Amino acid sequence: MKEATQPKTIWGTIAELPNNVWKSIFRNPLPSSERGRSATMFTNFFLHLHPVRVHRHTLKATYTLGLGLISLFLFLLLALSGILLLFYYVPSTAQAYDRMLDLRGTVAFGTVLRNMHRWSAHGMVAVVFLHMCRVFFTGAYKKPREFNWVVGVILLLLTLFGSFTGYLLPWDQLAFWAITVGAEIAAYAPILGSEVQFLLLGDYSVGQEALLRFYVLHVVVLPLLITLFVAIHFWRIRKDGGLARPEQPDTVVETPMTLTGGEPRGAFGLMGFVRKPFTKVGNVPGNTVYSWPDLLTAEIFVLVLTIAAILVISISFDAPLEEPVNVMHPPNPAKAPWYFLGLQEMVSYSAFWGGVGIPTLEVLLLLMIPYLDRRPGGEGIWFSKQRLLANTLFMTFVVINIILIIIGTFFRGPNWALVSPF
Amino acid sequence: MRLALAVASIIVFVVHVVVFYDQFFHRWERHQTAYFEQARTQATNDAEAEELARRGPQIEQIIVTQFGESQVDRCVTCHIAVDDPRFTEHFHPLKTHPYSESLGDLQVEGRWERRHKFSDFGCTICHDGQGRGLEEHYSHGDDHYWPMPLLGYVVHENWNENYKDKLLGTDYMQVKCAQCHTDEGFAGTPHVSRGRELFFKKSCYGCHRIEGLSESTLGPDLTEIGKEFSLEYLWESIDEPRANLATSFMPKFNMTDDEVKSLVIFLKSRRGKNYTETQLDLYRARLEVGDEQDVAEGDAALAEAEDPVAVGERLISERACTACHKLDSVDGKVAPDLSFEGLVRSNDWLMQHFINPRTVVSDSIMPTFRWDHSDFEAMTAYLESRTEAPQVADAAASYREFCARCHGEQGAGDGPIMLYLDPAPRDLTKASFMNSKPMERFKESIRYGVAGTSMPPWEKVLDEQQIDDLLEYVFATFVDQPRRELRERSIPENNPVAMGPESVARGESTYLLRCTGCHGLKADGKGPNSPDIVPRPRNLRNSHFINSVSDRRLLESILYGVQGTAMPPWIDYGLSQNDVGDLLNYIRSLNKGRE
Repeated sequence: MKEATQPKTIWGTIAELPNNVWKSIFRNPLPSSERGRSATMFTNFFLHLHPVRVHRHTLKATYTLGLGLISLFLFLLLALSGILLLFYYVPSTAQAYDRMLDLRGTVAFGTVLRNMHRWSAHGMVAVVFLHMCRVFFTGAYKKPREFNWVVGVILLLLTLFGSFTGYLLPWDQLAFWAITVGAEIAAYAPILGSEVQFLLLGDYSVGQEALLRFYVLHVVVLPLLITLFVAIHFWRIRKDGGLARPEQPDTVVETPMTLTGGEPRGAFGLMGFVRKPFTKVGNVPGNTVYSWPDLLTAEIFVLVLTIAAILVISISFDAPLEEPVNVMHPPNPAKAPWYFLGLQEMVSYSAFWGGVGIPTLEVLLLLMIPYLDRRPGGEGIWFSKQRLLANTLFMTFVVINIILIIIGTFFRGPNWALVSPF
Repeated sequence: MRLALAVASIIVFVVHVVVFYDQFFHRWERHQTAYFEQARTQATNDAEAEELARRGPQIEQIIVTQFGESQVDRCVTCHIAVDDPRFTEHFHPLKTHPYSESLGDLQVEGRWERRHKFSDFGCTICHDGQGRGLEEHYSHGDDHYWPMPLLGYVVHENWNENYKDKLLGTDYMQVKCAQCHTDEGFAGTPHVSRGRELFFKKSCYGCHRIEGLSESTLGPDLTEIGKEFSLEYLWESIDEPRANLATSFMPKFNMTDDEVKSLVIFLKSRRGKNYTETQLDLYRARLEVGDEQDVAEGDAALAEAEDPVAVGERLISERACTACHKLDSVDGKVAPDLSFEGLVRSNDWLMQHFINPRTVVSDSIMPTFRWDHSDFEAMTAYLESRTEAPQVADAAASYREFCARCHGEQGAGDGPIMLYLDPAPRDLTKASFMNSKPMERFKESIRYGVAGTSMPPWEKVLDEQQIDDLLEYVFATFVDQPRRELRERSIPENNPVAMGPESVARGESTYLLRCTGCHGLKADGKGPNSPDIVPRPRNLRNSHFINSVSDRRLLESILYGVQGTAMPPWIDYGLSQNDVGDLLNYIRSLNKGRE
């Protein structure tokens, strides 16, 4: 405290300015000590979501496959590319398609931006679904993580709806008829079906009103909701004690505090575990490592990998842009977006059960899973033998849905007749 | 993991390099650089050289706002020399747009002056293609999804092999000339004028609507067809109507390639609103479409000079009647056989039917053609002149010759043209119906036909013995149950309830309560249940049919139902004979003109 009392010369202040500014932003220097690692994680706004120490099991790539992180990064990519696309888009039936042509032809980086947005959106739907499968097959929804599973299912639905609303915006034949088909499926709901459809489209058919509604949902409402639920999702991960892992008695390692001279060794328990298990100061659970750098490296690895994949896909394949909308000439068959083709396939057998009944039951069952399956055991292990029945049931559900989507995508031709894609 | 991270980072970096390279080294920039280099060496005076020195590569565009919706053409970004007369000998894209008197260009003191200045018109207004793009593939409309590819010299890579060769050529440019030069005889657009003629001559207008030209609704509206489909699609659809739409019942017209070409060019030029018509013009055209010009002018004059039979024969073959109908060996497979139509139908019937088919067959799909009265007379005369009845050996042969086209080879009412007939031909295999009606009724139907339907009277073709044999054949071959004794029912010959407004009102309320589900609110047989019912409920406004049927038959059908159909016996549902009498009066009141 001695320096504070000593006034400095103006030159000294100026000389120290960069350093002072830097230190005022980043409270800690690049951590080299264990204390520093803890403090960095704890005090940095972007990092404080992480625990100070994470369990080794959490970092195993074969356990999580990084699917949750990939979903997050795809969402961030979507937000970023989406904001840039927003500068060029006009939600008007007269202009939207022309704007697409401009993006493809003239706007700097327009094609790449649109491709990234398109493929990230498709990717996010797939990855979020796979993430859900991962969580199920590792039994990670069990107590105390039931509610986080529910939040996850809500996020899946929001992702689907976000992708669906974005589908209309290019205002080409693909968009128009996919949304027409999708909205028709909504209309099969009993009693409120046509009202829901009207609410969604703002009209009896897809038109200017629908475009505006989908636009507002797509660029404002759904991203905000997804952000909110993602925040809850992450918050709950921390509060529920990190990712699920097998019940194993972790040995507690004693790290004696040295009170005289130098840094105390070991972590600061309260920084490490906000809720549980409570650890005495000076004791550290075994099998854990510092988040800095192990967890951060893993995250950056997944981030770079995701960006690389999306970029390679985006320069290799162009996002489709079909004819301008022609209300009088539906393509045959008119198909919904691929992730709804399972629904459309079921609708072809029974409008109500395929379009409304079964999907509603499926979503309800998904939401109820953690409350129906109350038996402990098998957490944190892929395809645990203790969970044979549950896993078999869920695998059946997944396989049936994937098969329906494959049939709807590749095996359905004009008039929804079976065709061979080969 | 470090290695994987490094590889992924390098990939990200490389992709960025590629993207940035793409962004900053465009092909159009190379074209422009080449253009400026050559133009500078050819600059003749200082001002020009200075001007050229000042200009550098940039996206060039023409924004056209004076023809309706504004249009952005960036074609001149690559085709930067279009208006520079020094580049006539160069290759595309650095080539001067040709000057030509046929385009209205004028030579003034050795220098050409354009009639259609690019700064006023842009490029796509004449050439089609996609003006906003900067990549050749997209801006030339080679992209499969762009409905308006460059007209003239570029065609789709992925077009149908059969039509690729036929779609080359500058003739197609006329499509766009006609957007402004709408006057019918415009010298610059002979194909459009011819196509327009063919549209009427080949009877296209009978089924298709084009705003301002025709009003029929049987086929798709062609008002904006040119905006929606490529040349290839149009060609294909005329050549083989079922190529693009499996359910189409448009006939094959077997036109020559040259005719199809003109028709396609005409159709491609129909884009709803064109550049010269104002909203008021369109409205006026819509008002006037009813009193359309006499399409086949001149034929009437000929008819006086020539033998009407010969004229009629020529007209029938020229106007593509056989695109739907059968005449001798030519068969359109949509409509009835005309080979002995003149023999079975009366002169009056034919004339009435020509003038408006729906006055005699209420639900006929045949278009109303706006031809001259004398043309119809000639065609009637020709049909009437065919008086020779075909010789048939036995009942089986006469069934094949006369009945199978509608009633089907196996008598199931599913002959080749069955889909296009309303009411549909009777299913003769349905024993419950066939065995519930007296023989005399079938004989009458054959002898005198069924009024208001496509069943013609056969009395001039088949004698009594032949009709008996035919019926015997039908019952023996198709009805697989022995004929039962008919139950005698006491039904009054005439309606027991006197006709009057009160009776009609009572009948109407019964009708609304009991009958609308199938026969519909309008009594046109198109009630909400009708799509699920075979045979379809009767159209009760088919006056020719209703007026030809006796009170007794209608009373019986309502009271005791029609076996083999969805019509239930209403006596079981509590309708008394008087209730049915009121109903009958209501139905009669819908159909005027009964003697």
